[in-house]
Amino acid sequence: MKFLTTNFVKCAIKTCDSSIDAFPLQYTECELVQQEQDYNPEFIVHMLERIQWDALISVARDLGNDGLPANKPEGLDAIIEDDQAILKDLHTLLLETHIVNGKMTCKHCNHVYHIKNSIPNFLLPPHLA
Amino acid sequence: MLPTPKFSNLDFDKVYEPAEDTFLLLDCFEGQIQYLNTQFGPGSTPVITEIGTGSGVVTTFVCQHVFPYGIVLSTDINPHACLAFMDTVTENSIVNPTVDTLQMSLTSGIRPNAIDVLIFNPPYVPAEEVPQIPESLQDSKWLDLALSGGEDGMEVTWILLHQLDHILSKKVGIAYILFCARNKPEEVANYMRQQGWIVDVVIHRKAGWEVLSILRFKRNES
Ligand SMILES: C[S@@+](CC[C@H](N)C(=O)[O-])C[C@H]1O[C@@H](n2cnc3c(N)ncnc32)[C@H](O)[C@@H]1O
Ligand SMILES: [Zn+2]
Repeated sequence: MKFLTTNFVKCAIKTCDSSIDAFPLQYTECELVQQEQDYNPEFIVHMLERIQWDALISVARDLGNDGLPANKPEGLDAIIEDDQAILKDLHTLLLETHIVNGKMTCKHCNHVYHIKNSIPNFLLPPHLA
Repeated sequence: MLPTPKFSNLDFDKVYEPAEDTFLLLDCFEGQIQYLNTQFGPGSTPVITEIGTGSGVVTTFVCQHVFPYGIVLSTDINPHACLAFMDTVTENSIVNPTVDTLQMSLTSGIRPNAIDVLIFNPPYVPAEEVPQIPESLQDSKWLDLALSGGEDGMEVTWILLHQLDHILSKKVGIAYILFCARNKPEEVANYMRQQGWIVDVVIHRKAGWEVLSILRFKRNES
């Protein structure tokens, strides 16, 4: 599972839907792997529009990365050198960092979900589904 | 006609084998390229989710030909399908950097109002009931979930339709869902229109003794 995907997944339990604590999940015991991807700065710029920045910071922190700016960088331009550095960092973090194994915990209900062989599993036992 | 993605190493005792319904979806998306490009603009990065990817052929096709830069989060309830999906993506050397597969029911683990384009070829065959989810990976019954759709073959699809407003993004939000005639797609379309959706039949075809159709559900912005 790519780091980017952590920005889109939440607790699957219905009663957690209305809680702001159900997203993002908390990541622990994660095994990370870097996998090279073609770098496309335009794409990162577009993708940023879809990102919830606070959640990104929170998950990055869970995984030991404190280096993200506090606010979402706006109006990045792939031609400007300073912006290039930010875009390249985001590329490495969001697209090249994979969580191969690990745990995701809902901060509202404490349910634990597992990531195994890069596939996160959100299936619930029958009494919670 | 655009080529069908490759899928050569899959075990069809565990994962739904691409069939007429699958190929109807491919033809559907071949025909929707222009429409979707005008909805989102070329080079855009909409969030795309196929529920129940099975072999992964449909998602792969969409990555290759419709949204090379989409953020793709596809789901299946069947763990073997999630693995098959990864094989198919690799076999077709998909370069889209954001394709992931997630094991879940429908979109239950994806945050609300995040999905721009939703695709679902559901278990649509009328059956006594929707099968229970097997407890272990080794269980031989995972494939049953691909077909049996309970009453009218609509039990799983209705759950999704009732959540559609909560699932699709507020901005655009388009869902493509496949039906067979026994699902009574006209009745479904009328009901959803009453709920304020714009519903169109984008393609239909006789496949053996089935008539399959794909309906497009879109938010009514006005
Ligand atoms: C008719 S098959 C379609 C497979 C593939 N999309 C295709 O077109 O060839 C239905 C798929 O939906 C999956 N499925 C059934 N119920 C589901 C649910 N509640 N959530 C997610 N996937 C589900 C099945 O495991 C199966 O892979
Ligand atoms: Zn929860």
